[in-house]
Amino acid sequence: MITSFYNKGKYILLLLAVSISCKKAIDFTPSDTIDATKAYRNLSDINLGLIGAYAGLGYTDITNTSLVSDECMLPTENATGGGVATHRWQYDGSNGTITAAFPENYIAIDRINKVLKAIDEVPSSSSESDLKERYRGELLALRAYCHFELIRNFASRYQTGALGLPYMETSVISSPSRPAFEATIAKIKADLATAKTLIPASFTDRTRITKNAIPAMQARVALYEKNWNEAITYSGEAINLLPLATKTQFPDIWKDKNEAEVFWKLKRATSAEGLLGNFYFNTNNTVLYAPSFKLLNLYDKANDIRFSSYIKIDNTRGAGKTPNIVVKYVGGSSTLNLADVKLYRTGEMYLIRAEAYAETNKLAEAAGDINTLRAARITGYATQTFASLSDLLAAVYTERFKELAFEGHRFFDLRRRNYNVVRDPADAINALGAVLLTPSQAQYAFPLPDSEIKVNKNMVQNPNY
Amino acid sequence: MFKVECGNKQTRSHYSWRLSFIVELLAILLIMTSPCVHAAVNQAPSIIKGKVAGSDNLPLQGVSVIITGTTTGTFTDRNGLYILEVDGNAQTIEFSFVGYAMVRVPVNERREINIALISNTATLEDVTVTGYTSYNRSRSASSSTTVSSEKISQVPLTVDQILQGRVPGLVVAAGSGQPGQNARLTLRGVGTITGNTSILYVMDGVPIETGFFQSINPSDIESITVLKDASAKALYGSRGSNGVIVITSKKGRAGRVSFDYKSQYGFSNMSSPKFKMMNAAEHLLFEEEIGLETGATAGPGWTYSKKNPAYALKIPAEKQRADFIIDSLTNLNTDWRKLFFRTGKFIEQQVNASGGNENIRFYSSLNYYKQDGIAVRSTLQRFTLRNNLDFTVKKFSANVNLSLGYSSSSFIESEGASSGNNPLSAVYYALPYEYPYFPNDTLVHSGNTSRFPVFDLREGSNAYERMLNTSNKSNQLKTILSTSASYTIAGGLVAKTRMGIDFRESLDEAFINPNSYSGSRVSNGRRGSLNEGTRRNFSIISTSGLTYAKTFAELHDVEVSTLFEYNFTGYRAFSYTGYGIEGRLPRTPAGITAGSATNSFIPVIGGSRTKSALASYMAFGRYTFEDKYTLNASYRYDGSSTVPENNRWHGFYSVGLNWEAKKENFFDDVSFISGLRFRTSYGKTASPFSRDFGYIGTYANTSYGGNAGIRPLAPGNPDYDWEYATEFNAGFDLSLLSTSRIRLIMDVYQKTTDNLFFNRPLSITSGFGSSIINGGSVRNKGFEIDLQGDVIKNKSFTWTVGGNYSYNKNEVTDLAGADAFENGFTGLVRVGLPLGSHYAPKWAGVDPATGNPLYYAKDGATTTTYNAATLSVAEFGSYIPAITGGFNTSLSWKGIYLNALLSFMDKVQRYNNEDYYNENPSFKTSNQSIRMLYNRWKKPGDIALLPKIAAARNYTSRDIYDASFLRLRNVNIGYSIPQQFLSRLKVIRSIQVFAQAENLYTWTKWRGFDPENGNEYARFSYPSPRTYTAGLNVNF
Repeated sequence: MITSFYNKGKYILLLLAVSISCKKAIDFTPSDTIDATKAYRNLSDINLGLIGAYAGLGYTDITNTSLVSDECMLPTENATGGGVATHRWQYDGSNGTITAAFPENYIAIDRINKVLKAIDEVPSSSSESDLKERYRGELLALRAYCHFELIRNFASRYQTGALGLPYMETSVISSPSRPAFEATIAKIKADLATAKTLIPASFTDRTRITKNAIPAMQARVALYEKNWNEAITYSGEAINLLPLATKTQFPDIWKDKNEAEVFWKLKRATSAEGLLGNFYFNTNNTVLYAPSFKLLNLYDKANDIRFSSYIKIDNTRGAGKTPNIVVKYVGGSSTLNLADVKLYRTGEMYLIRAEAYAETNKLAEAAGDINTLRAARITGYATQTFASLSDLLAAVYTERFKELAFEGHRFFDLRRRNYNVVRDPADAINALGAVLLTPSQAQYAFPLPDSEIKVNKNMVQNPNY
Repeated sequence: MFKVECGNKQTRSHYSWRLSFIVELLAILLIMTSPCVHAAVNQAPSIIKGKVAGSDNLPLQGVSVIITGTTTGTFTDRNGLYILEVDGNAQTIEFSFVGYAMVRVPVNERREINIALISNTATLEDVTVTGYTSYNRSRSASSSTTVSSEKISQVPLTVDQILQGRVPGLVVAAGSGQPGQNARLTLRGVGTITGNTSILYVMDGVPIETGFFQSINPSDIESITVLKDASAKALYGSRGSNGVIVITSKKGRAGRVSFDYKSQYGFSNMSSPKFKMMNAAEHLLFEEEIGLETGATAGPGWTYSKKNPAYALKIPAEKQRADFIIDSLTNLNTDWRKLFFRTGKFIEQQVNASGGNENIRFYSSLNYYKQDGIAVRSTLQRFTLRNNLDFTVKKFSANVNLSLGYSSSSFIESEGASSGNNPLSAVYYALPYEYPYFPNDTLVHSGNTSRFPVFDLREGSNAYERMLNTSNKSNQLKTILSTSASYTIAGGLVAKTRMGIDFRESLDEAFINPNSYSGSRVSNGRRGSLNEGTRRNFSIISTSGLTYAKTFAELHDVEVSTLFEYNFTGYRAFSYTGYGIEGRLPRTPAGITAGSATNSFIPVIGGSRTKSALASYMAFGRYTFEDKYTLNASYRYDGSSTVPENNRWHGFYSVGLNWEAKKENFFDDVSFISGLRFRTSYGKTASPFSRDFGYIGTYANTSYGGNAGIRPLAPGNPDYDWEYATEFNAGFDLSLLSTSRIRLIMDVYQKTTDNLFFNRPLSITSGFGSSIINGGSVRNKGFEIDLQGDVIKNKSFTWTVGGNYSYNKNEVTDLAGADAFENGFTGLVRVGLPLGSHYAPKWAGVDPATGNPLYYAKDGATTTTYNAATLSVAEFGSYIPAITGGFNTSLSWKGIYLNALLSFMDKVQRYNNEDYYNENPSFKTSNQSIRMLYNRWKKPGDIALLPKIAAARNYTSRDIYDASFLRLRNVNIGYSIPQQFLSRLKVIRSIQVFAQAENLYTWTKWRGFDPENGNEYARFSYPSPRTYTAGLNVNF
């Protein structure tokens, strides 16, 4: 019996021994993720977080503009079906394509706000204070940019009293409501103004927001606000900082061989960071969305450097295939479509100023800006005169169409003045009747995602959806 | 303690000593403590002997004879004889043998016990194996179903797929028909919103990975027990609530070594979907109609049409050319099925041997299995080896079960995607007037159409080219090792220990041929790619403790156990993708070109690692009074690394009662009832988490412009907790007539899962679309019936029919204050609705005047304005079936037998995403369903099924279909060659020849490929093939 008891005791001891060691044996920490409480330890972590915010920026405003405006057409060779319903203006809040900019920008904004909160909490030496303020400036400018993208995409109209978008200044779980358009714009302007004082002129990395980029951003905000005086001031400031590219430089901007007249661009280093050009032309040798004939016919094909930089006409592609290809984003590397996404250029600044001059009855100055830009782009261009304000505005719009094609402007430009979106019959062969979109239709303003409307009772949908 | 009936005593004891030495060594290894094999024998031993026969009174070899409550026992020899040495404590002896009802006989100081076992066609007398306990069904409060080896071993499917239609309450959806793919199993309804739904699989006591059954040989399985109620599942505590499937492998039997050889061959082919695609003439007509209706060009049918206004302007030669083009395309009807599909071959070869003596028994098997899928390129090849050893020496017994499996799978690309890379979608998208080859045998794809002009968009040919020039393979090495040892310390007290390992390493390879069009489409450098990766999952479990079993005063039968268990799981994965492949060095990293800043060949590296652990203290027991009343109870205290520290440890419990009513005196005279028992149980379990560190707020790496950055990944949740399921079960087993010819098993249950783990949607302005919270409840309640009857039962002819039926009602009862939210692909989660409910605008048909689609507004009026947010309603059922079951029949006449199994699902609605692609104006240049031609609105007044071509193609209830089905799952016919012919051959003991068919016929309204492929939606998943095999089993 003693032996037997001894045996039992042994097993019990063994059990105890195993159990004591097990407390530690179930305490693990993840190996593949960073603990949120240890995300920001110092200023270089702040930079990592800031890069994370840049990484969150996409280009859906560019692709969606191409889909819903008159700058692109759907060629028969695109059998993928991608974006087709959107192209036909058959979208509502359940459509993930048209609403994509909403989560994209708010996620980036939250990343920014998390870093802004941390920036005052991390230890930094006095020698690092300039760097710290630069980061803060970049963050504020980025926050303004993201909110402005939201305004361009989702504001019900670009006018006082229209539905704006909530301006998120802290990282918080809440159910914000939509302020008026002008309230959002005011906050955007405030962040940009602060950023301008924080970013030093010595910082010149154009893949991030520099001091020079701020007036360009301010000019575009003023344009949408129809604040013509500020538009003149800021675009002029930007033009003085960065001259137009020469005709030699211009094609190489798109191959990322130079950065002439580019204030800010989204750098793309690998295909994993997203290839904008895949939207237009892919490695399957398929043209998914082709430049519209409406746009094609506006260019002086032989002399306009923009035409050859943006579009290629390839008549050897075979029967049933469109010869017209958007080559703006095919890039200059061995990876097809690996190209930086240009966000602000001097060309746009001339057109903003021209429009603002025209609106403030400075018709000669307006004509001057249009002529300067055209002369820089078109070989053998002869200066033109414009008879009236409406002629000037029409010229500005035509020039914006040509200069800023496939850069995410056309649809929003039409909306700024409540112009109809009109497709030419040649561009509508596969649009199954989608040739006219008027401001009275719901689809004229992009819908907010249904998921947001459903979860946030304070968020209202754009009208008529 | 064992003794042989004859033989030299001295040799015997010497042998015994040597064995016990080996066993002791094993004990040292296993228990890691000094063996204590010197317990004093405290009672004088005595000997019981006897003979065991089957129902035909022929001797049964290999019957297990053990003293109840101990591991002491022996086996019968080939003459059915046994000799058992018992001590004075032994009160009853148990006789058990697979296929026969277990019998327990009181000793009552008898020295000779002869017995005849009764063939167990019923499922009423099984032993309920839970992995921790093995209670006879008459002493178990648990609701469980056991599937035995004869139903498993011949079926050419993986283990999980085989269970369909056999277990009431278990929903098995094939998911994919690709060889070696796993089924989706749910037991007694889904009890979570976004948490883990997978069932816990336990093989020989070792929990094994769900979803990796490719390298497990079903022929090695003795039985599969599905544990359904809390009284059994609570033994698994925090991992038990989704159900437990306990797999027991075949063990060796004492006696002469016997060999089995099994061989089967077969083939598979495609079963046809119910929708029809257009032929060449139809698609050309479709194109012409679109041209006339909208002016759009959908292909040559309009470009070269006589009705095209441009035709009139053509010169005669051009007109002639146009007519010729239309004419020749009309006559070109490519059968893409012949290019993408095939008849798949099937081969299986197996040898196994089994034998041993009272001290050592073994079962060894070798198996080769090869199954070609019906889609070209998809194949599963498997080699398995199993070695099971059982030792018994005196008071010590141990076993080692080792399974080694290697499988090599080749897959199609992008299964379940609408992408053209998926041959299962390409076969439908491809135009009938498209043919991949030019007359000179050049494969014409989008990359060379400028040289070989064609009139189509090469959708089929590109996919075909892709299929030929890419590969997607995975090799898997899997080892399951289970060792256990037990030692009888003193009368009734047994120390047990068990250690097990589940190891898997998958080696994946995806290759794109650089010298092909597909290779040129690789965006990194456009010269092919090679992706290779390994995924390793390692899990180790160790369980040790004590069991005490004793019968007091012949009335009180007690068995209690206490155990400690530790389970660790580690996972790591690594992969790379290299570019710029040298065409002469395919499928090897040696062919990869080094990357540089300019050549775009920089390889992509990926991988991950994670680990988790679970520690548990357990106590459980059984008390049986007078063989009539049994109480089962268990408690388990679990601590898991996957839960934050404040909620880390939690207790789980169950209690259950069993009443053997038939044993009551008042039933003695009720002769038509041959068996009746009632059971009930109640308990609490939880389900494990899908992620190891789901509670931690985390950041991850990201990059912008080639610079490293960090981004928030998950918001984390400090209150993260288990999902707790409380479950009640009550049931009875009833058998009628003297030979138990009618057998009924019925259970009712209610399972409530609280603290539901779900992603509460957030306003995206918070930076996250959702956050993980615990809250809310879902309830599953239902019943299960299994009825079997022997219609005819006599010496030469037996005909059994049976069926099982289960009904489950699922309902979300609380959402912790959260509003209804959308979940999954088309679903809505709302209090009062079952999980998996479809949410869509209600289709109201087509307006005959305009051809516009109509939708019902919530007030019942129709509207033409589509708005998913305001129109959607949840009136279209759920994709989780409420009713499932099966019918079975078996006939045997002399040596001939026929078995058939039908399975069914009802009250199940699924979203047919295939229709979305095959009936969609956005894809008018691809092939479309004939309904797009014949049932489309074309002019005012048309009463049409589908709207006009220019109308938007939106998601509505139109795409949600009834996916209920009845499927003839398996038919098996065989013949055993009579003994008199074999007796001359001497070596051969039996030969059986058989033929079987899988999925012979399906009755369904479902329009897609297969009513059970995919999940809530069907989108070009691999359909279950129809498989025919024939083979033979030879026993030596």
